[in-house]
Amino acid sequence: MLLHICRWLQDNSFLAVINGTAWTAAAVEIVHYFSMFILVGLMVIVDLRVLGLVGLRQDATQLADRLFPWIWGSLAFNFLSGFLMFAGSATAYYRNDIFYDKMGVTLVAIVANIIVQQKVSKWNQLPAMPAWAKLLAVVSIGLWVGAIIAGVEVPALTGVG
Amino acid sequence: MDGSLVIFGHWLQNRPYALAIAGSDWAYPLVQATHFTGLSIWIGTIAAVDVSLLGAGKRSTPPMQLSDELLIWNWIGFAIAVTGGFLLFSVSAETYLTNIAFLTKLGLLIPLGLVLHVVIQRKAPAWEKASETPPVAKVAGLAELLLWLCVATAAVLIPYVG
Repeated sequence: MLLHICRWLQDNSFLAVINGTAWTAAAVEIVHYFSMFILVGLMVIVDLRVLGLVGLRQDATQLADRLFPWIWGSLAFNFLSGFLMFAGSATAYYRNDIFYDKMGVTLVAIVANIIVQQKVSKWNQLPAMPAWAKLLAVVSIGLWVGAIIAGVEVPALTGVG
Repeated sequence: MDGSLVIFGHWLQNRPYALAIAGSDWAYPLVQATHFTGLSIWIGTIAAVDVSLLGAGKRSTPPMQLSDELLIWNWIGFAIAVTGGFLLFSVSAETYLTNIAFLTKLGLLIPLGLVLHVVIQRKAPAWEKASETPPVAKVAGLAELLLWLCVATAAVLIPYVG
């Protein structure tokens, strides 16, 4: 079933043109990298604020409110460009274990982002950030770095991408 | 290309550490991941300040005085990115030094980006304190984001033009 969808994506002429034309393929890659930098970088700032390592003069809730729209906006660009890159060689990614690792780690990282966003104003009203909030912030940074490592391992170890 | 550059590239890529990275299955991608992690922190901290200058986001929140507070992490990200980048460069220095996209990135776009970045970093505290962000600050913020996007563009194009 999944393989069937992958075949269909790969044979889709529109997606094939995007991946087969040098400048559109490059544009998609640029969007994927740049949105990843902004997404991960901004999320790390929020996490570091929870850890008390950055922006202590900033109100944590306000900082999160300011940055999260950009985090989710970058994620949208990142997802869309990533999907286009995936579609070009869908059947190869389908057989690629590290790609599943990357998707799994990224998904958990996104869930961690959502929890931080939901809880940050509550934590902010406490006298100090709770220990589990700080733990979550550390885990969140670790997950994003892990997603990057898994991401570079996909082409490095398997030649796909 | 200039002969001395090629000789330098040849010398660099034959350093033991460069050969070790090139010869290992896991070292190269790990160095790549280091470069990208550094870039995420560098670009993320830049974007946070620039986005704040642009005044985009929630209208109800007051302008954030972020530039000072992000300064250390900003340059930590830069240091990580440069370290990773230098190691990646060392592995195939000769090829990079004859690649027009790489030379444009390193010789033109990154110096321009750094100059604009330092200017913004010096001016931002005053801009951020103003009750209304001056137009020049918004232009500078947008220009900086676009300039780093150009850097990323040149980097992606390295294999395409090589």
